[in-house]
Formats: sequence, C-alpha cells, structure tokens
Amino acid sequence: MTAIEKTIDSTLESACQSKTLVCDGNEAAAWGVALSRPDVIAVYPITPQSSLVEYVSQFVAEGIIDAELMNVEGEHSVLSALQGAALAGARTYTATCGPGLAFMFEPYIRTPGLRLPIVASLVTRDTLTPQCVWGGHQDAMLVKEAGWIQMYCETVQEVLDTTVMAYRIGEHPDVMLPVNVNSDGNYLSYGVTGISLPAAPLVDAFLGEKNVNWHAALDPERPMAIDPLTGGAGGPGPKMFVNYRKGQTDAMQNALRVIEETHKDWGDRIGRHYSPLVEEYRLADADYAIVTIGSMTGAAKDAVDEARDRGEAVGLIKVKTFRPFPVAAINRALNKVKAIGVVDRSVNFGWNCGPLYQETIAAAQKLQRFMPSASFIGGLAGADITVEHFSEVIEDTAKLLKGHSYDEPVWINRND
Amino acid sequence: MGIGYNTITFNQDKCDGCGDCMLACAQAKAGSDDIVHSRIQILTTDQPSGDPQASDSGAIELAMCRQCGDPKCVSNCPAAALTKNATTGTIDWHADKCVNCLLCTVGCAFGGITYNAEIGHVTKCDSCDGNPACVKVCPKGALEYNTSGSIYNRISDKDDLFVPGLSACQGCNSELLIRHTLRNVGTNVVVATPPGCIPGMGTVGYNGKTGTKVPVFHPLLTNTASMLAGIKKQYNRVGRDVTMLALAGDGGVGDVGFQSLSGAAERNEQQLFMCVDNEGYMNTGMQSSGSTPAGSWTSTTPVGKEMQGKRTDAKNMAKIMMMHNCEYVATASLAFMDDYYEKLDKAIAASKHGFAYLHVYAPCPTGWRFPAADTIEVCRKQVESNFVTLWDFTPEQGLRFTRSTDNPIKMAEYLKQIGKYRHLSEAQVEHLQRRVNDQVRSLKAFEQLTEVS
Repeated sequence: MTAIEKTIDSTLESACQSKTLVCDGNEAAAWGVALSRPDVIAVYPITPQSSLVEYVSQFVAEGIIDAELMNVEGEHSVLSALQGAALAGARTYTATCGPGLAFMFEPYIRTPGLRLPIVASLVTRDTLTPQCVWGGHQDAMLVKEAGWIQMYCETVQEVLDTTVMAYRIGEHPDVMLPVNVNSDGNYLSYGVTGISLPAAPLVDAFLGEKNVNWHAALDPERPMAIDPLTGGAGGPGPKMFVNYRKGQTDAMQNALRVIEETHKDWGDRIGRHYSPLVEEYRLADADYAIVTIGSMTGAAKDAVDEARDRGEAVGLIKVKTFRPFPVAAINRALNKVKAIGVVDRSVNFGWNCGPLYQETIAAAQKLQRFMPSASFIGGLAGADITVEHFSEVIEDTAKLLKGHSYDEPVWINRND
Repeated sequence: MGIGYNTITFNQDKCDGCGDCMLACAQAKAGSDDIVHSRIQILTTDQPSGDPQASDSGAIELAMCRQCGDPKCVSNCPAAALTKNATTGTIDWHADKCVNCLLCTVGCAFGGITYNAEIGHVTKCDSCDGNPACVKVCPKGALEYNTSGSIYNRISDKDDLFVPGLSACQGCNSELLIRHTLRNVGTNVVVATPPGCIPGMGTVGYNGKTGTKVPVFHPLLTNTASMLAGIKKQYNRVGRDVTMLALAGDGGVGDVGFQSLSGAAERNEQQLFMCVDNEGYMNTGMQSSGSTPAGSWTSTTPVGKEMQGKRTDAKNMAKIMMMHNCEYVATASLAFMDDYYEKLDKAIAASKHGFAYLHVYAPCPTGWRFPAADTIEVCRKQVESNFVTLWDFTPEQGLRFTRSTDNPIKMAEYLKQIGKYRHLSEAQVEHLQRRVNDQVRSLKAFEQLTEVS
C-alpha cells in the first residue's frame, strides 16, 4: 500500500468511524459510494439527483473518495465512459433519473449485454410530459426490461446499505450485471433522517477483492475483440446470440440467490437486516394485503397498524427487488392472503393499471387460484401518499373480499 | 512487400514550360547556364496531331530518368557501367567502366539517358542525392520529390495487425488506412471502431472471431470518444500508458457521434480520434451524412425532377475540431502518404497529452461510383483541386498548410472522375467551386493567427 493510499484510507476511515449522521438519501448514497471505493465515477447533474453527484464530487475533492471523477457532457457519455472504464477493470458509479435516464438509454440497454457490473443510482422521477421535476417511478419502470437489476429502497439508511450491497451483487461471478439502486426522488433524496455509517474496514471485508473484468477486457496484455458482430440466419450468429441472451436471463435468476446471500451477509457483518426480495409485514394472520414498493411503505405500514387496531385483518407485502422479479418470494407472501391491493407510483399505459400490479398478478397466476385484486396509482409527480390515502386503499381492498371488483385502477391524489 | 524508393514526379497539368528546372539542373550538374547540360528536359509538342479530339496538341512532356525498377539501360549495357543502387533506387552511371557504346540510350523509352556531345559521354539524373535542384526551383509545383515509396520499406518490417482477407470493397481506401495506421501505432493500444465500414469489413470480427490483433471493440455509433475516455482514465489510474485510438466514419464523428466527440475534446481526453471521411453512410447503402458535399448523389439525396443531390454543404469537421483548441488537429489523404505518416506520428504523440484529431479523406469507389483502381487517383485530385486541403494545427503553432493550395487543378478535373457528381449542373459546379474557394480563404485567415479559439 502506498503512502497516498494510506492517507486516503485514514480519511475514509476517520470519516466513517462509528458515526451517526443526520443526512438525506442523496448524501447517504454518496457515503455508500465512498465506502465501495469505486475507481471511476462519471457524473451529470439532474433534479432530484443533483445533490447526490455534488456530494460525490465533494468527497473526491476532499480525498474521501479516491476515484477518477469525469464531469462529462451528458448522461449518454456518463454511462459510455463507465462502460469503457469497466472494460479496463474499473469499479464504477453514476446516478441519474427521468430525462437523464432517457438520454442514457442507448448505452443503458447495452450494459447488461456487455455484462458490466456498473452501479447506478436512480433517484426516481416522473417522466415528461407534463413538465415535472418531482418524484415517481415512471422512469425506472420504463427501463424494467433492459436487463439491469433494480432494487427499490424504503429508507435513507437502506439507500446507503443497498448501494454497497449493489457492488457485491453485480460483481458476483454468477451475476455480472449492472445494478440500479432506486431511491424515491424527493422523499428519499431530500428526506433527512439519522443514519449510521458502517466502519470502512467492515465494508472492505464485506466487498472483498475487486475483480470487475475477469471475463472480458480491453487490455493490450490479453488482446481480444469485445462484442464482434453476431449475425445472420444460416450461420452460427443466431445461435451465439441466443446463448448470450440466455446467459443474461440465467444471470438474472442467479441474482435472486445472490441478492439474498448478500443481504444476509450484510446483516451478519453490519447488524442491519433487510428483506432482500419481498418483505412481509403483519401478514401471517392477514386475510388480505396491500402491496407496496419504495418509500411509500413507511406510511403504508402505519396505515396497516391503524387498521389492525380497528380489527382489520390486513397485512403488507413490500417488493424491494423488482428486477429480477422475485416470483417465488412474492407467491409465498400472496399465498397467505385472499385479496390484494397493489399501489404503484407509475402507470402501465398498455394495461390501464400500475406496472407492479401487473407483475404481481402475473406471479399470482402461478398460484393457480383466483386472486381478487385492485390497482392503485398514486404518488405521481411527487404527490404524497399519506396514511389517510393508505387507509382508503385498505378499505377499497377489503371490498374485494365481499365480491367487489374493479375494472379500472383507483387513482390516488386525484382530488388532493 | 516490394522495395519502394523516393522519386521525382511530374504533373503535366501544372507545368507551363518555363524551363527553370533545366537551368537549375545545368547549374547544379555542370556549373553552366546552358540547358544542354540539363538532365531534365521539358519538351513541348509543337506539332498538333491534327485530331481535334486529341488532348496532346501542344502538350508538355518530360524527358528524364525514371530510375526504373527493371531498367533497360542497365540490361543493355555490355560493360556493367550502369547499375541499380539497391539503397537509393537510382541508376548509377560509372565513368570508369563506360565504353561509350550508347546502347543504353537505345534501351530507354523516357529519354532518361542521353549523349552529351559537349562532354563526350552520356549523362542521367542522379536525384541530386535526395535533394533535387529541379524540384526546388519549380514555381508551379509541377515537380515534386515523392518520398512515400520509401515509407513502405520502413513500415514493411512492422507487424500488420489487421488480418489478411477482409470483406472490404475492392479498392477500399479505409483498409489501406487501417493497415498503415495500426502498423505505426503498434500493439499497446485499444482500438474503437463504431458501426460503419471499418467494423463492417471485419475489424472487430464476426461470430466470435476477431479481425484485429490488438484489443478492439464496437462502441455505439454515438459514444466512441466517451468510451475511450473511460478506458484511458482507468489505465492512467493503474499507471499504464496505453494509446486510445478511434477509427470512426464521418457519421459517427460529425453527426450522431458529435456530442461525445466535442465533450471529449473539451475535456482534452488523451486519445487519437480519427475520422475516416467517405462523405456519407457507405456501409449501410450510401446515405447522406453531414459530411456529404452539396450536389452529391446519395441514396437519400437522389437525383430527380425536384431534387438534384444534396441541397446543403458539408460541414468542415476538421475546422470545427480546430475550434476546440485540441492538442493536435490535422487533415490527411492517402495519396500523400509521407504527409500522413508525419501527421500520424504527431497525433500519436499528442494523444499522450490530450485530444488529437485526424481527419482522413477517404474516397469510396462503391459509394461514389468510380472504378476501384482509381481510388488513390481520386484521393490525389481531391487534394490537388483544393476540394480538401492538407493542414495541421497545434495551439502553439496555429494552422499550417502542409501542402500548398496555390495553383489548384480545375474542380471539374476532380468531379468528372466521380459518378455521384455526374448529374451536376454548371450552377452546382460553380457552387462547389465557390464553397472550396471560401474554405481555402477561411483556412488561410486562420493560418495568420496563432490563437484560434
């Protein structure tokens, strides 16, 4: 270890040593990045992610993060530069959302195929248009079929912890895929709370030795072509392509196991345990449940508690890992109830419902029994889904047990 | 690869028969102003052939030794007084062996070895040991000392890092470019070839096989400079000096690739970004790009009643990159290989410090509609007509022409070889001529400045 590395180590270590910190989700993400020791970071600011990349830049300026910081001219180049860096062996990081993610889309859809374990925070934001700079899941939901792992955080602390875990998940040899750590714009990005910083040596031990491009590299010492053309019916091209694709989908399925192992090991080492795929809350004796994703879950849990106090047999199912979709885990939860109300912060235009709703009932189909269900859409454009809103959601979901059915989604916040 | 030598070349179209070369030669070789001593003779055909279609009426021709590879003078000589010098390539005459039989003069079809009655023996051009007096005095640039032949000797020792056998079109300029470039860049490199002819001919490879012996990859059409920048950052971080080389078509440079290019140039990323400009999307079927000149036929700027080729001018990417104040910017043409090599060396060196941009003009026989055998000739006339110009730029030096833009050949001489211009009206040709004149004037204005941006 060189003298410089020692200095930087002590900077990060002293910065993180058994610290309790009052900060927002964007700063928490930046601490997660610092603890993960990336080599190359590329940034371009966009609301509500901007303060995240400002924190990261500040940490680089102060020496808390020892990384190459690239201030490039747009999100397209952000991810392109990181692809290059990862192909040269770098651990990499960026963050984006909304229109920035849309602009990044071309390299974004290519990253999983290149099998590069890039970590990118999505500080989720509703999509244009109408013009809007506020939170919502529409941006992340639009890219759900691109092949990235996507985990939605519920709390500021979970943002930090999941950012570190994302590296171990993505870089696992059975996975080798990029990871989005999704935090709700406004609610998590700017929501201030107390968190604790894990000690740097504990995180170093958790992440282990860095080995990013063992499978493919742009290195004159082992020359190879990256991504030659596969092509043409009648030749070997389609078969190669099919096998590459299958490798990707297999890796996504492997990720379910690795995500669980990683969360368990994080809990064992750091002392904070999360449900890696699906969280069940007061579900054991529930007749029905609401299904949530992201930061809305806090208010939803309060509403469930209140309903329980009223004698309602309601529970909650929270999806943390949305890609790959944890079919088995969600069905274990769904199997405990007779009806569900699914709350989305985005819409599925094709099915006139929320995307989480669509995915959940698709999974439920494997239970081979009819699951009465309702789709709730709320929290668009930064709107607050309050405890009162969730009480109504619970009430509307309970109606399913009495034979009520919904032909359309129930829109929350429409009359706020 | 055969052996190549430096040669004196003669451009008939530029010569006005002034005779300065003959005077210079006579002075250099005999200390005399009498051109009878000159070993270069400019001859004017006084007698019209009588054929009104013939172009040789009153034409100027050159009589001078061509330093032939298979010299008849040497084989005719019974006394071994003439020999081919394997090092310089000149045919050397040895006075001590010559028997004055003059059989050599019978063998030569070029009037390259002649009897000089005043001194009593034959004389011939010896290229003035590589510094020919005739070339130096020629006021029209009709005589040039061409050193590109010998370059092939220098590089033939270097590994060809591109596979033999590619799917490039016959006569492709880009294959030549890649082979020569990679030979000089060497193996400590990462090569980016965005979609286009260059990967299309197999550079990155097909179905799991590669076409290049160095690390090579497909970036997107849009992000070549950004990906290379990321790779370089990591190599710098681990303390390894690796060259970053982009071989991109004009669309991946000036159209959809422009943002990442401009950003990388602004950040002075350490890479050599090469634009191989064939004036359109040739790989996908000859569609128009921002580099397509006005009037060009392409498959998306067709010729019909309502449209006669592209309606707007090409953008001058090299000039745009100069305005980014890059570490090094240059234009090049493969008809001027010595110039290209000099610029390539400078660009590689500059890429160690910052952003280097090389714009190589790459006429395309398939897409431009000219015979495959004419590629280099089209390259040459493209430059000689000033349709493109050869220059380089550094922030310290400013812009410098590496080939004179004075006395260009007529625009029509360039255009007439190329099928994509076949339909041009007089007005369209005039427009192109005006555009070319404006470009030259503008670049000359920059030549006067040292600070351009």
